[in-house]
Amino acid sequence: MLAVAKGDLDAYDQIVLRHQKLAWGIAYRFLGDRHEAEDVAQEAFLRILDAAGRYKPTAAFPTYLSRIVIRLCLDHACKKRPVPTDNLPKVQEGDPSAADQVAMQDRDQSIRAALDSLPPAQRMAVVLRYFEGFDCRSVASAMETTVKAVERLLARARETLQPLLAKLSEE
Amino acid sequence: MRCEKVRLKIDAYLSGELSPQDCSVLEEHLRACDGCRRAATIARRLIVLGQTAPTPPVPEGFAQRVQTLARQRTARHVPAAASWSIVAWWRMVSMPMRAAAAAVLVIGLGTGALIGWNTWQAPAAPPTQAVSQVDPLASYSLDYLTDAPDGSLAQSYLALVSSAQEGK
Repeated sequence: MLAVAKGDLDAYDQIVLRHQKLAWGIAYRFLGDRHEAEDVAQEAFLRILDAAGRYKPTAAFPTYLSRIVIRLCLDHACKKRPVPTDNLPKVQEGDPSAADQVAMQDRDQSIRAALDSLPPAQRMAVVLRYFEGFDCRSVASAMETTVKAVERLLARARETLQPLLAKLSEE
Repeated sequence: MRCEKVRLKIDAYLSGELSPQDCSVLEEHLRACDGCRRAATIARRLIVLGQTAPTPPVPEGFAQRVQTLARQRTARHVPAAASWSIVAWWRMVSMPMRAAAAAVLVIGLGTGALIGWNTWQAPAAPPTQAVSQVDPLASYSLDYLTDAPDGSLAQSYLALVSSAQEGK
């Protein structure tokens, strides 16, 4: 980032390549739509470029990037309620694993519907903790809140998601 | 440990963030409490779900698109060394800094205006009198051969002396 601040765009390219999966993963899991997730992830990287001159390495870069993605996602959620879309490739007839793929699609749609039922802050905590594998401290740092607040968000989200787990275990 | 606290600490426990002492207290509670044990099971299953539910891959060409936009954006910017403008500075600083700068400006202008007003309103000082160029000895008329001017010290003295002599 210090190199980017001096105008080194090759360094910036490396940053994008190394961390695009993180930004995309958070945005996609939170928003549920490929195009919106791509817009948010792209905007996050451009904001990093704009702010390169003011960057101070007070936190790990993935945490810094996550914070920007999270802020953009939460702003987006305030403006618009995400509509679950089917982003998986269509199953071809005669595919030997067609049944498995259909089951996977149903499962993913169930997960999407369950995540969409959560308030934005709980949804973000769940995405970071269970889908991105952050520990509680990292979630708190990325969401710019306290560990206690994250614990409360996750506890409430688990109660809401309990029926999803029950449904998935039936399938 | 109470159930409410246990359920808050379950995620920290599962991700290994609790101290060994807190871990053993929590595990002891889980052994005895069905409700909290169910909550821990739900958390474990959510972790497994998150690990096994695949996230679609990053869209093809995403990095290239970002890099192209970055170069376009950089080409539009004025180089930092070329000029510094107060407008750019104003846009860059945080809101508290802007408030502080505005307050300093208002206080400075206000103080200057107050001082200027007071100066303008103060009455003009009276003109100073020219120092007399007349010889002070002459003004006291100490030359006894000439008549002392009316009201002068010499006249007063002579009158005093005269009255004293008449009294004898």
